[in-house]
This record gives sequence, C-alpha cells and structure tokens, in this order.
Amino acid sequence: MNKNEQRDLFPGALEMMVLRTLKRQPLHGYALVQHIKRNSDDLLQIEEGSLYPALQRLLKEGLVKAKWGTSSTNRRVRIYELTPAGAKHLEREVSRFERMLEGITRVLSPSES
Amino acid sequence: MNWLKRLFARRRLYGDLSEEIRAHLDERAEELVSGGMPREEAAAAARREFGNVGLIEEDSRTVWRWPSVENFIRDIRYALRMLIKNPGFTAVAVTALALGIGVNTGIYTIVNGALSWDMGLDNRDRIIWVTATNAAHSEDWETSYPDFRDFRSQTKSLAGLGAYTFAPVNLSDSTGLPERYYSVQMSANGFAVVGQKPLLGRDFVAADEQPGAPAVLIIAYHVWRDRYASDPAIIGKSVRVDEIPRVVIGVMPPDRRFPEETDLWTPLMPDAALEKRDNRGLALFGRLRDGIGLATARAEFTALSGNLAAQYPNTNKDVTTEVRPIEQITGLYFMKPLILAIFGAVGFVLLIACADVANMLLARATERSREISIRVAIGAGRIPIIRQLLVESVVLSVTGGLLGCLVAVGGLRWFDSGMGTMEKPTWLHLSLDRSALLYLAAISVGVGILFGLAPALQLAKADANAALKEGGGHGVVGNKLGLRLSRVLVGIQMALCVVLLVGAGLMIHGAVNMYSTPIGVNTKNVLTMRINLPEAKYPTPQSWIAFHESLNKRLAALPGVELASIASNMPLGGWIPFSLEFDGRSNDAAQLPEVGCLVVGNNYFQTMQVEPRRGRLFADADGVAGPPVVVVNESFAAKYWPGEEPLGKRIRVRDENLPGAWLTVVGVVPDVLQNFRQTLELDPLIYVPFAEKPQRQTFLVARTGVPPASLSDPFRREVQRMDDNLAVYEVRTLENRIAESRLGVSLFGALYSVFAGVATLLAAVGLYAVIAHSVNQRRREIGLRMALGATRRDIMRLVLAQGIKPLVPGLAVGLLLALGVKRALPAAIVGVSSGDPMTFIAAIFVLLSAALLGCVVPARRAMRVDPMIALRCE
Repeated sequence: MNKNEQRDLFPGALEMMVLRTLKRQPLHGYALVQHIKRNSDDLLQIEEGSLYPALQRLLKEGLVKAKWGTSSTNRRVRIYELTPAGAKHLEREVSRFERMLEGITRVLSPSES
Repeated sequence: MNWLKRLFARRRLYGDLSEEIRAHLDERAEELVSGGMPREEAAAAARREFGNVGLIEEDSRTVWRWPSVENFIRDIRYALRMLIKNPGFTAVAVTALALGIGVNTGIYTIVNGALSWDMGLDNRDRIIWVTATNAAHSEDWETSYPDFRDFRSQTKSLAGLGAYTFAPVNLSDSTGLPERYYSVQMSANGFAVVGQKPLLGRDFVAADEQPGAPAVLIIAYHVWRDRYASDPAIIGKSVRVDEIPRVVIGVMPPDRRFPEETDLWTPLMPDAALEKRDNRGLALFGRLRDGIGLATARAEFTALSGNLAAQYPNTNKDVTTEVRPIEQITGLYFMKPLILAIFGAVGFVLLIACADVANMLLARATERSREISIRVAIGAGRIPIIRQLLVESVVLSVTGGLLGCLVAVGGLRWFDSGMGTMEKPTWLHLSLDRSALLYLAAISVGVGILFGLAPALQLAKADANAALKEGGGHGVVGNKLGLRLSRVLVGIQMALCVVLLVGAGLMIHGAVNMYSTPIGVNTKNVLTMRINLPEAKYPTPQSWIAFHESLNKRLAALPGVELASIASNMPLGGWIPFSLEFDGRSNDAAQLPEVGCLVVGNNYFQTMQVEPRRGRLFADADGVAGPPVVVVNESFAAKYWPGEEPLGKRIRVRDENLPGAWLTVVGVVPDVLQNFRQTLELDPLIYVPFAEKPQRQTFLVARTGVPPASLSDPFRREVQRMDDNLAVYEVRTLENRIAESRLGVSLFGALYSVFAGVATLLAAVGLYAVIAHSVNQRRREIGLRMALGATRRDIMRLVLAQGIKPLVPGLAVGLLLALGVKRALPAAIVGVSSGDPMTFIAAIFVLLSAALLGCVVPARRAMRVDPMIALRCE
C-alpha cells in the first residue's frame, strides 16, 4: 500500500515524462518504464505498475493512442504513440514546469537575496 | 452516443489492460532470468517491482468509469448478495426495521396532519385569540358584547377584531329530514378579519347585524354539497334555523370552517341579554396589523382591559385579557401533548429496532472481520470499505422501509376502522401523503446510516496481519470494544422499553379500571337520542313539558319499547351545574357549593334500572302536584350529610341568582358514573323531576325488548309526527354512546400497548442476538470449563449472568425516565393514582421475562456444547 505513496513526484509529473519519452518514439509499457528509469539514472523511484493508470488517463484524454504490435522479444504488446494533441499538451506542460522550476530555484538559491 | 460506445468498448479495454500487464511482468521476469536469476524468484521479483497488480488494474480501470455511480451500484449489488447469503439475519433485521419505520411513518402521518393544520386560514400566524381571565378566580373567561365593542373601537395593534359564540341549531327545509348543525354566531366582520370570502354569494355586511335586519345564513361547503347537492340556486332560498326563517346568502369554500368544524354561520346580533357587560359568552379573534407582534397586542389589551376595569368596576374589576395564538382555541391544541407522546413512543420503537440491527451487525462484524481483513490485505482502502458497509446497512434499512410502508398503510387502516362511526376531525389524515413518503424515505436512509456507522467504523479498523495470523473464527477486530458497545446498546434498549412499557401499563391499567368499574345503570337494550326544542316554536317551559308528555306516550306505545323517559344528561355525559342552598345552614351567597344536577323524567330510574338505596324513586305526580321533591346519590348524602339521615332534608337550587322552591329529599340512589372528563370519578349529584326544572335540550331514552338500534327509525318517525321541523340527532344505543366516550382512552391505550409490545419483542430479539453471539464466541471457553468440571447448570448461570448484567443500569435509567413520562400523560390515564407501583412492577416483570427468554435460548445452546468438539475444532 504505502509504496504507492511515492509513485508521483507531483501530480502530472509521470504523465509529462511519459509524453516526453513517447515524443521520441512509440514504445510499449515495459520499454517505457525501462527508458524512464534509465534516463533518470535511477534517481526517480518509479513503481513500474503506476505507469498503467497514467497511461489509461492519457488514453482517455486522447493525448496518446495505442495499437497492438510486437515487442523486440516477440511478445504481443500494446504500443503507445503520441497524438498531436499530446504533443501540444506536452509543450504546454513542459513550459509550465520550467517556469515553476525556475521560480522554485530562484527562491532556493542562496546567492540572490 | 459516445458514452454508449465507450460502455461497450470497456469490456475489451479491460481485457487489453490485463493482457498488457501480464506481458509486462513476463518481459521483466525474462530479463531477470537472462541476468542469471532462477525462474520462480524472477517472477516474484517482477511482481514486487511492479507493485500491487490487483490495485493497479483497479486504478487503471477506474480511469474509464463514472466512479461514484458505478462503485455505488457495485456496492449495492454486493450488499444484496450478502443479505441473500444470510437469510436469517436479513429476515430478523428487515422485520425489526419494517416495524420500526412503519409505525413511525403511520404516526408521522397523524402528527404531521395535526401540526401542519392551518385551521383553514391562509395567515394563521397573524390571527390571534383574545381571552379574558378573572384574576380573582384565575379562571378563563370569555368576553361580553360591550367589552368587545370597546376593544374593537380602541385597538390599534389589530387590523380587525371579531367575535363569535357557539350555538348549535336545528336546520329544516323542504329538502330532507331536519338536522342538527354546529353553528356559530359571528360578528359581521368575522370572515373579513380572518381574510376569507364565500365561494358563492356574499359575505356578511354590517347591516346584517343591525336590529331588525332580515335574518341571513352562510353555510359551509360540505353542507352545501351534502344537503343541497351543490345546487347554486341555494343562494337566496329561505330555510328554517331553530324555527326562524333565514335566507342563505353565502357558501364558504371547501375546508373553510372557521373557527373549527363549523357547519353554519349566522350574524351575531346584540340583543338586550348580550348588551349586559357581565354576560361573558363571546370568544374574540383578531388579525395583527402588519409589523405588529403578539407582545405589542398583548400589552395593548392589558392596558385596554385595565381601562375597562377602572371604568366599570362592578363588572370588570378583576378581569384581565390575554392575547394568544388562534390555534390555542382549538380542541386539537389540547390533544397535542397526547399525539406527541405517541410520536415519542414510536420514536423509541424505532431506536430499539436500530439498536437491534446494530447489535446484530456488531455480532456479524466478528465473523466478517476476516473477509474485511483480506480485502484490506489485498489493497482495499478504508473509505471504500466503510462506504460499502454503510451501503449494506442502508440497503437493509431501505428494504425495511419498503415493508414499513405496508405496515404504515395497514396500521392507518386499522386506526381508521377503530374509530368506527366517530366523526373525524378535519386535521386527521389517515393516508400516506407526499410528506409522509418523504419522511419514510428520509428515516429509511437515516437509520441505515445510524445503525450501520458504528459497526462499519469498527470493522474498518481491521488489522490485516492480526486477522490473517489468527486464523479467523473468533474475535479479531476490537472485540472488547464491540462487546461493550453491544452492552450499551442493550442497556439503552432496556431503558427505552421500560419507558414504553410503563406508559402502556398505565394506559392499560386505566382502561381496565375504566371497563371494570360499573357505570351504575343497565346499559343493555337502551336507545338514546337528543332533541332541542327551538325557542321560536316552544317559548315556555310549559310547552316543553307538554311536548315531552305526549311524545313519551307515543314512544312508550311503540311495539318493542318497555319504558321511555327523558334526562338532561346521559351516563358519562356530565350534568348541569347549580349552586345549592341547604335548609338550616347559613348559605352565604358567595360560598354556595356548586353541585351537579340531572333533570330527569319521573320514570328515568326505572328505565335505567336503578334501584333506590333508601327512600323512594320519583312517582308520576312528582313535580306536578304535591310538595317538590329531589333524589340524591350516595356520594352527595355522604358528602353533605355525613352520618345523618338524608331523607326529609331540604335543599334548593339557585338559578340566575334566584332561589327555587325548597326540595325535600325522598330517596337516595347508588352512584352512577356521570363525569365526562375524569371518567371514574363519582360526583355528588342530585336528581330533579323534569316538571320541576324543565329543559329545552334533552335526551330521550328507552328500554327496549328488541335490539335497540332497530327502533331508531320508528323513534324518529314519532318525533317527526309531532313536529316535522324538529331535528333528532345522536341516535344511538347507550352502549355505543358509552363506547364512544371511552374511545379516546381505549384507542390510544391500544396503540401504546401495541408499540410497547413490539418494542419488548425487539428488545428481546436484540438481547438474544448479543447473547447468542457471545455464546458462539465463547464456545471454546465453555468447552474448557466443562472439561474442567463445570456443570451445565454453571454454564447456564454464566450465560444468564452475562445477559442480565446490562439490564440493570438500563432498567434503572428507564424507570427514572418512566416517572417523567407518567407526568406527561395524565390526560390519557384515567383512574390510576399518582403512585402506581403495580404498573411499574408489571412493566419490569414483562421486560425481565422477555429478556430471560432472549437469554435462555442461547444459554441452552451453550449447555449443549460438547467439550470435546469445542476444544478440537480449529
């Protein structure tokens, strides 16, 4: 139960990373998790399962689409792909996040004050 | 129809999801295996890294749902499955709730009718009643016409002041039999003051109450409908009211019967008698001016009556006025405490039913704690569990509510038939209306949450580890707390039950007293009816005597009639109060005792089969020739001539401050119940021959050799032959008349007893549930005790002691509450002395018997525990 509590850094963070990863290339669930883990240098503790509710949310909102395909290990898997709406959403979210991060950084940085 | 498509697509979506997750796990496991991990370990590791598969699938699916609605429906389906799986529990709980909710809804219907009745007024809050009080005697008085006129011209706080007085009348016309109606003489401005207008015709105008004005009449809607077949041509027709021709000028709209249950209105015409300032016979009502409150009006009228007292000290010295809400003038106002007492009683019944179900749920909580723990262990959240348990209890209570609806309808029918032919007051509604159904729905859901909350909260505390480790079977969750809660609930049930039982006991005791006390006359085979000789046709007492003499001959001659007579009052029907002087005493005019008097025909005692105790009864010549005579009852003789010989003593009555002739006591008769309020009180009474004090209004009585009701029509016919405009009313047998006067007590007594019976049954069931459950829990312990040498008797004692323990504080609290209830119910309780230990003892006895029954069944089960089996199982 309590493992779930740290699955998100903040609401929407996981979705943003998923969209960003899918922007580079369509991937299936397992590959997506591995990719995020690897690229974050394992700094982020992501519970693998938590990816799926996030993916369902994105699917429902039409930000990604999915189709059945075959993985590199020759399994039948569902491959997710960014939609144009998803791309736009990602852009918006990233710029919002950057602004937020900048704000937080300014407040936290000791030099200016 | 996008959502519809989505609904169908959903099943596929869910399948996709499961497959996708399975693929994910396989892929991960394979990767780990290729990294050198053994296969089983790899599968476990993959799951560990993934997280709670079930929960994640659930979360993912939730994305596609309308979560609240769907969870709710799922919860309801689950709840229904649980209820069907435990038919015994469900049956008992639903029955308890159906009874509790049903009686509540039924009584609510009556209470709501009573409380929301607006007297047919659109602005009841603004209408007030002005009543006079005599400070010297602290009695409620009414007001005289001159006072009314002064108030009306001087008041500034009221937008209008009206006056009325009751005057029942005979109405006759060409359309049918003459009838007796409840009539009101009202000042011409009356309807305008309360803001009502006739449906047809016109309202009274000031000219209608001027001396010499043509006599007019306004009739109520139901009279127009029933007597005149809703014929609009009635306006302008002339009818006879107490033998005076009056023109019908108006018909009031439906349900407009101001002040209460009125049939006819005539204008109040000030005549010489009304113009006397000490003739206080008027009730005053007014409408508050906009923006003026009751307190302002009250202050103004205190000042106005102060002025009158200073101006007319002879008549108004100690008279003050009081301004009250108009509803206090109604009969309903005095019934409200009784109605609310009944509502309280059914509230208790419902609480007891709730406590029952809560207890059963608590008992089941132990059994279900394993199920809940497992659900917690596989990731169910606390809130969804509480929600689902609450849904279960609400499903239970709503099922009970649906059946309760039937209980309510059936109960109201029963009440309706119990009232028999009695005329129902306007405010009484005996069918479920919209507000009753809303109430039903509200309490159904409300009690479900009420009794479900505690068990649900307790269950949701379930500790997953403890449950799984202990292997279930016995207490896992907050067992001690649950047990204590159960005991408290049982204690509360007992307390409420005591209150109800004592209330019912007092009422039953009163009813038994009432029915076992002899009335003093032979009530079998007696027919009674009333007539009232109108002044216009029968102006003198001689004419009344002559009328009754010839009517009596006609009635006595009818086949089937053995004896016929007349009387001013019937048994249980009160008397005429007179001030009395005693021969040979000082008889200070201010201190004369007021004594009840019955004016009777000379063969009244023979007709009612009353034998004299001393002396003789009336003879034919009494009141006509020879010295005037009187007969007294035993109470009278004992009170006024203790230890003396009453025969030969002389008394006289003062009527309108004039002494009558001296009456010589010729006989003493046994006491007859005459009091209509405290129906068991034996009052000192005197009997005077009709010819001595003739009355305009009388009862005809006849002893019959055939079933008395069969003579109703012949009697009416004989009266009609003598005077075809004379109304004969209240034609009924003496037995029916007496049953009617006791109906209130017996009906409310029966209601209360039913409620108390249901409550006791429910309390016993509740206790049974608790004890049975605890016996179940303690099987092992009991087995152990028996293995160690405890006898069955010991076990029985153990269980009984456990059952009785919570009763003691419950009984104590209940008895204290019951003492309070007793004080709240005096009007309904007849003939029960203020200290009535028997009722309390009986109530405790009934309750303890029921409780014992509730304990003995599970105790016997405990005795039959086979120690070997009990110890081995698990």
